[in-house]
Amino acid sequence: MSNLSQLAWLVPIFPLIGFLINGLGRNYLSKTLVGIIGSGALLLSFITSVLIFNKVSAGELLIGEAGVYFDFIKFGSFNIPFAFQIDQLTSIFLLVITGVGFLIHVYSTSYMHEETKAHFARYFAYLNLFVFSMLLLVMGANYVIMFIGWEGVGLCSYLLIGYWFKNNDYTNAAKKAFVMNRIGDLGFLIAIFYLIQHFGTTTYIDIFSQAKTEGSSSLITIITLCLFVGAMGKSAQLPLYTWLPDAMAGPTPVSALIHAATMVTAGIYMIARSNVLYALAPSTMSLVAIVGLLTAVFAASIALKQNDIKKVLAYSTVSQLGYMFLGLGVGAFTGAVFHVMTHAFFKALLFLGAGSVIHAMHHQQDMRHYGGLKKYMPVTNITMLIGCLAIAGIPPFSGFFSKDEILIAAYAANPIYYVIGLFGALMTAFYMFRMYTMTFLGGFRGDHHHLPHESPKPMTFALVVLAILAAVAGFIGLPELFTHNPEGHKLANYLAPVFKDGEALLAKHAHPDHTTEWILLAVSVGLIVAVILWAVKTYKVYKLENDAEPQGFSKILANKWYVDEIYDAVIIKPILAIGDFFGKVIETKGIDKAVNGVGKAINFGSRKFRYLQSGNVGNYILIMIVAIIILVRILFYLPMS
Amino acid sequence: MNLIIISALSGVVMMFSGLFVKNNRTISYIATALIIFLSLATMCELGAKSWFNIPQAEAMLRTSVYGKLIGVILTIATTFYFVLSGKDIERVGKHVADYYALMFFVLAGAGILLSFQNLLMLFLGVEILTIPLFILTGAQKQNLKSNEASLKYFLMGAFSTGIMLMGIVLIYGAMGSFDLSVIGKKAQFATPIHGANLMGLLLLLASMAFKVSAAPFHFWTPDVYDGAPTVFTSFMATIVKVAAVVAFIRLFEGSMEPFHTSKWQILVSILIACTLLVGNITAVFQQSVKRMLAYSSISQAGYMLFAVFAFNAFGKEGITIYGLSYSLATIGIFSVLSKMQDITFDGFNGLARQYPGIAFALTVFVLSLAGIPLTGGFLGKFYMISAGAASNSSYTWLFILAILCAAVSVYYYFRIIQAMYFKERVSDTPVFEVPVSKAFPILLIVVAALIILIGINPQILLQYLYF
Amino acid sequence: MYLLDALSTPAQYLPIAIQFAFGVLFVAGMIAISHFLGPKRNTSDKLDTFESGIEQIGNARQPMAIKYFLVAILFVLFDVEVIFFYPYALNFKSLGWEGFAAVCMFVTFFFAGFFYIYKKGALKWED
Repeated sequence: MSNLSQLAWLVPIFPLIGFLINGLGRNYLSKTLVGIIGSGALLLSFITSVLIFNKVSAGELLIGEAGVYFDFIKFGSFNIPFAFQIDQLTSIFLLVITGVGFLIHVYSTSYMHEETKAHFARYFAYLNLFVFSMLLLVMGANYVIMFIGWEGVGLCSYLLIGYWFKNNDYTNAAKKAFVMNRIGDLGFLIAIFYLIQHFGTTTYIDIFSQAKTEGSSSLITIITLCLFVGAMGKSAQLPLYTWLPDAMAGPTPVSALIHAATMVTAGIYMIARSNVLYALAPSTMSLVAIVGLLTAVFAASIALKQNDIKKVLAYSTVSQLGYMFLGLGVGAFTGAVFHVMTHAFFKALLFLGAGSVIHAMHHQQDMRHYGGLKKYMPVTNITMLIGCLAIAGIPPFSGFFSKDEILIAAYAANPIYYVIGLFGALMTAFYMFRMYTMTFLGGFRGDHHHLPHESPKPMTFALVVLAILAAVAGFIGLPELFTHNPEGHKLANYLAPVFKDGEALLAKHAHPDHTTEWILLAVSVGLIVAVILWAVKTYKVYKLENDAEPQGFSKILANKWYVDEIYDAVIIKPILAIGDFFGKVIETKGIDKAVNGVGKAINFGSRKFRYLQSGNVGNYILIMIVAIIILVRILFYLPMS
Repeated sequence: MNLIIISALSGVVMMFSGLFVKNNRTISYIATALIIFLSLATMCELGAKSWFNIPQAEAMLRTSVYGKLIGVILTIATTFYFVLSGKDIERVGKHVADYYALMFFVLAGAGILLSFQNLLMLFLGVEILTIPLFILTGAQKQNLKSNEASLKYFLMGAFSTGIMLMGIVLIYGAMGSFDLSVIGKKAQFATPIHGANLMGLLLLLASMAFKVSAAPFHFWTPDVYDGAPTVFTSFMATIVKVAAVVAFIRLFEGSMEPFHTSKWQILVSILIACTLLVGNITAVFQQSVKRMLAYSSISQAGYMLFAVFAFNAFGKEGITIYGLSYSLATIGIFSVLSKMQDITFDGFNGLARQYPGIAFALTVFVLSLAGIPLTGGFLGKFYMISAGAASNSSYTWLFILAILCAAVSVYYYFRIIQAMYFKERVSDTPVFEVPVSKAFPILLIVVAALIILIGINPQILLQYLYF
Repeated sequence: MYLLDALSTPAQYLPIAIQFAFGVLFVAGMIAISHFLGPKRNTSDKLDTFESGIEQIGNARQPMAIKYFLVAILFVLFDVEVIFFYPYALNFKSLGWEGFAAVCMFVTFFFAGFFYIYKKGALKWED
């Protein structure tokens, strides 16, 4: 047991204890106490994570045997230990999860204050359980522990989306999220089975070292594809993304924590973690890149026409996740993780800001009824503006650095990726500032009797901290272009040991020279600024009365490309029809008859057998004699080889 | 040796305690103390050496690690049985001490069956095992059903003993010895195989099938189990049955050579198939839980016979797990049943509301009997079927049948759960004839926990096989 | 070579067959001879079913005292056990003190059983 392993288990244990206390004591604890326990658990975890981060940056790692706590599943020679692996990648995720998680817990104490005591405690119990599962997911040293966390976060996501379970739509959204995730999970499970079958272990380091020596094979491709299916479900990529917008039914802090900052990035974590396997499967890599790119553009286009403030953010999340997958697909693992981090900050900020607005507007989520909130909510306004600038990619805010790192890497891989990606980024800038303008600028379009007001301290505290992070987090990943120093990218240096194997296996793309890079940056920033100005100008004068029914292409966008309808027509309706056929014809005529028939036969046999049990000893002995004779006959006269 | 001698002596002690102690409770306490001592003695024997070293008896009785382990299991199961059902034994009749004495004699017989090396000892063991059971079955002297069951059991038992003796005689005639190892050794070199030997083994097979109540030699079982006082049914269906199965294995392990494995497996597979079918299918239709359990014990014996089918390490390990988890579960259910007013399924209606602890423990027992994972019963069935598959994988039909029968068994076992949790109690009569003590549910839950422990970590039991 | 191995052909069973035949003929002959030679005086007592000396009155299926059978059974039991003394008497010297100890143990059990049935009241003739 190294020092680190004694520290490591503390990180998930705090939220677990918080979950147990809040979950079991939900009828007894006061709201204040629940809030303190829930947030306090996260604070302790965060402090522990910082300690771990210090140790890891000093070079101490928890890998292999040292991280084994006990044998979890063991039969024959096959062993799945309950083990943690703490390396650079994990430590970054730990910081993000517990840090952002802590802020969101603090924010929630005030956002959820209207709930009754028991429901308030239930909320925090779920939230703590979620954090626990998420920590398990990133800390596990093998795919099975990751899968436990993976399922745990899925469960908590389901529970929290359906938190207001009295509303039928919300529970349906929760079910949709669960089912869509299950489709992905199946892929993940199959991948685990393949891994067990081929490598005989699920531990990362063993698999990777074995895979490296064996080189690429079609099996690796299949495994990586299956893993990617899991990632598509959890991280809301085409075609499994539809649950994420619906998941906005949950409380807004939940959307911030689960559906923006942490859970949905689990897919990115998984692929980044498996970088060696992916590097051995180039075809999967290109698939990841293409799916990511398509999702990025596709979701961004939908976001252009949404009027629900949370829906805009939801599609934006899907789109940003697409960028991360693009980064993974072109081999920019560091870029993807960098973007996960900055995205966690600015998207959590945006969601929490949106939550603040919704809170102030008495749960009105339609942006058409906002406008001019700048006057009433100064803190929210400033922080949201920072968030929007960060996501749009304006230097020096964090999104600029991470997004451009991915886009430059995409350019290196294939300029077409870059062009499409840039197009998506422009759309991002447009819809973000459409949202910002419609909400904060112009005149107030809401009910003038209920003027909005700034949110309470715990909420603004979280907003301010996240805004600072969103503003400055980019500086840990300055490109070489600015520093003129290959060692200048702090994050890349830090993560290098994790990705060195994967990157070594990848075919090197020629990094574009400095001139090209400058041009690309200038083009993208210039275009984005132009788009922002256009968006602000267009929507500053927005009037509810002038809003025409969308026509033509914008109608398609407003209706989200009719994806839900297409799924309904192509998949659900036929399945229902098949189900109907099975239910009405095969089930009743065939299976029911067969099953009932078997049941009847057993019943009939049972009654007949009962007659044999006549109670007459003479009969019994007779049957025994006959049986012995039959046995003798078999023994002596049956021809045997 | 500890098991045989100490249980026989305990039996004598119990006989005399009946003469001098008038309080029934005290008698139960004495019996419990003795059985605990007996379990400790068997454990000591498993761990170290026997307390009684009688080299002259080697030709008659030879203990093996496996037999010792089963001895421990039997005594532990009996301990739980005494503790859980002591009060019910006291309610059967006047001669409480004698009942206990008889049960100790049964254990002595079981001890002989676990270690016999000689066919004479097999015969003696079987007789010592069964004769007390005839008396226990008829313990309720005023109850006609009990008398009838006892007489039936006696008649049919005598018949099967006759068959067994005939078999032993034929084998002696052919091989010239009663000693199992001599018989086994001779049979290996005998070509052609002596017809009398084959016939003798077949008769032994039939009579052992009778003892473990394998179909079609099972007809005594439902009548006897149903007629006997419920507490004694519990004892017969568990401890006695496991001992008989182990004797079955021990008898044929070394001496079935002349059959050729393939022929042997045909015979045993027929027995298993009949047993599973008859046990399960007939159990479906029963209204009385007691009778249902009688049939289910037949089907459970069918699974245990896979060890006789296979004769491999899996089978032995399986019997260890199966024997303990099945015995504990059945003893648990019977201990509740023998306290109940109404022993049909309706008697269980609404039990969960009044006695949640008891209902929970019963649920675990039923799950274990049905072979649901996480319980010892599941592992037992799993081991048994894999033992069969490991020894001869061409009997796919048999394994599928076994699994289907397990599925059928879920139906009638779960009726208990259904009655306890999902049905309302209609009548006002209390569930139990006598008030249950506070410790009873706790004890039941301890037993249930043990079953789950075996299901999760069978290693704690199996490690002793490979000392 | 064991007995049955030597006698396993049908021809070798001839002596047994002869013995069977002799036995059957002897019994049948004796019955026949006594039938023909013996005097026949049929009294009502003689034509009654033999009922172990108990007078046969009415239905045979009425309950009766079990004491007689109990004592008889106990007699047989103890009788059989006493038989074990004969081989011991023959080997008295060669078995020595160890044998004596074993027999003492046997006798102790024997008396324990006797004491038990005595205390249980199995030998009490009067109710």
